[in-house]
Amino acid sequence: MSIAFIDNLDLSFISTVFGSTVPIAPQIVIILAALLSPAIYLLTKKGKAVGLFALLMIVISGLLTGVMISQGENFYGEYAGLFAFDPFSGLMMLLFLAVAFITVLASLNYSEMTKYKGEYYALILGATAGMMFVAGSSNLLTIFVGVEVVSIASYAMVALKKNDPRAAEAGFKYMVIGAISTALTLFGMSMLYGVTGTLAINEIGPVINGLGFTMPVVIGLVTIIAGYGFKIAAVPFHMWAPDVYEGAATPVSGFLATGSKKMGFVALFKIFIVLFILASTNLAESMQWTFAVIAAVTMTVGNLVAISQTNIKRMLAYSSIAQAGYILIALAVMSQYAMQGAMFHMFTHVFMKGGAFIIVAALITAGLGERIEDYKGLAKRAPFMAFAMLLFLFSLAGIPPLAGFTSKFVLFSSAIYVDGAVVTDWVWLALVAILNSAISLYYYARVVKAMYIETGESQEKVKVKGVYTFTVLLCVIGVIVLGVYPGPLLDLIGQAAGDLIGKIPL
Amino acid sequence: MIQIELFLLLSAILFVVGLYGVLTTNRGIIVLMSIEIMLNAGNINMIAFAAYWGSALGQVFVIFSLAIAAAEVAVGIALLLNVYKVKKTTKIDDMTILRW
Repeated sequence: MSIAFIDNLDLSFISTVFGSTVPIAPQIVIILAALLSPAIYLLTKKGKAVGLFALLMIVISGLLTGVMISQGENFYGEYAGLFAFDPFSGLMMLLFLAVAFITVLASLNYSEMTKYKGEYYALILGATAGMMFVAGSSNLLTIFVGVEVVSIASYAMVALKKNDPRAAEAGFKYMVIGAISTALTLFGMSMLYGVTGTLAINEIGPVINGLGFTMPVVIGLVTIIAGYGFKIAAVPFHMWAPDVYEGAATPVSGFLATGSKKMGFVALFKIFIVLFILASTNLAESMQWTFAVIAAVTMTVGNLVAISQTNIKRMLAYSSIAQAGYILIALAVMSQYAMQGAMFHMFTHVFMKGGAFIIVAALITAGLGERIEDYKGLAKRAPFMAFAMLLFLFSLAGIPPLAGFTSKFVLFSSAIYVDGAVVTDWVWLALVAILNSAISLYYYARVVKAMYIETGESQEKVKVKGVYTFTVLLCVIGVIVLGVYPGPLLDLIGQAAGDLIGKIPL
Repeated sequence: MIQIELFLLLSAILFVVGLYGVLTTNRGIIVLMSIEIMLNAGNINMIAFAAYWGSALGQVFVIFSLAIAAAEVAVGIALLLNVYKVKKTTKIDDMTILRW
């Protein structure tokens, strides 16, 4: 794909500036920003200045990534045999940059934030760089290090809301559970290394294909599933998610739910892409069933527990556990179309879940509580926020013509159509997913009912700051455009998925 | 040369000991120590396999994972101190504000 306007620009400066590091250029920009933000805070003593600087650098990195994707042939390549810039990693980097942009924008005016502004933005940017490194990595080592960069930064981010017992407790719990998952992943990776003698992902596949599923391979893969299952909050590794999302400052919760979780999926895709190829030879059937069972249980538990929640952040946490279950369908089906659906759902999930968390953040800043009861009569008090919340929740439930419907359509239908033919193996999974969507509508509609039908004690208008209205507007546009006109992005994602799967030799 | 299975046995035992510690103890500091033991189980695996394959890849991985473990514990202790400041305790059983 190329755009005429970009073709006319002279892009040689990118190669001149970055030299041989062009494949990791977007990450370099973000790392520079992360290193500079505390210094800028020291000089200006203004949190907003750092925030605006972070936004600027994110936009620069995003433009760079966009240009590099649109001029693919010139910029795709490897760096040091550890990182690769290809359509898949480019798109995922854009996704993570979008998450970071939304989070920083929502943090500019957030009232629960402490005085540690410079550190806060540095942590967000550092975590974003880690996510982008995971997206761009082609080696188990860089995946491991990237995931840890994100995890360690997010433990600190969760606990940054100081003197709040909930945040302190959530931070420590998150750290302990995250460290256990690190240990599990390290153990699994050492097993894979022991069997194959290599850490490069596209060299591991052929070796496993030759050896078959021996015991060490199974131990390695299962511990990696457990380790990164913690990161994506798949049942039974989900217990930390509601605690952390409730305890953390709301923009951070949104960042974790939309960004950190996607990173777990990217890592899983990268590692298990090996099995996508093996799926055609029926070798990977046991792994497919493992993922299918995890997916079914994850969405069911997430949705059922969400029904009884009274805190909106906790409800959104359980709903994002359920969404992780939907995305896991791709790892059960293991086809290119399923991969496309999963990536598309990851994109739409950023806008709908991110938007919902930002509305919660905006209302907390305006003095509203976190309980669903506090949202009674919101339609009269803050009409735009209530309407946007309605759009996001209905999109999460999968009601057309919103983005959630389109992505769920692709994702669920991939369980029935595998490579253009109807396959009956995973029809039950699609059925479970559809039933779950119906369940989820119940608790989403409960919030909508509170906002539109019930009346609360207070009738005062809620004053929402302009930044929030702008951020929510961006998310609303994303949800509507991706729902009504998904074509271009879906095509790009399809190419990226095909490219990722085609790269692995058998 | 010592058989590779013995190293695997050692690392498996260490991993289980660490996991047992994390799951049963009530003291925050001990949890952090147990996590270190779990991480080192993976490191021993890596080193043993690096010697087995005669390649340096595993050793490079261990250097990275040691650095990460150090960072993790540094942040972990800071978080535990934060918990102590706010709640005046580091007992795991007292962290019960957030549940269900």
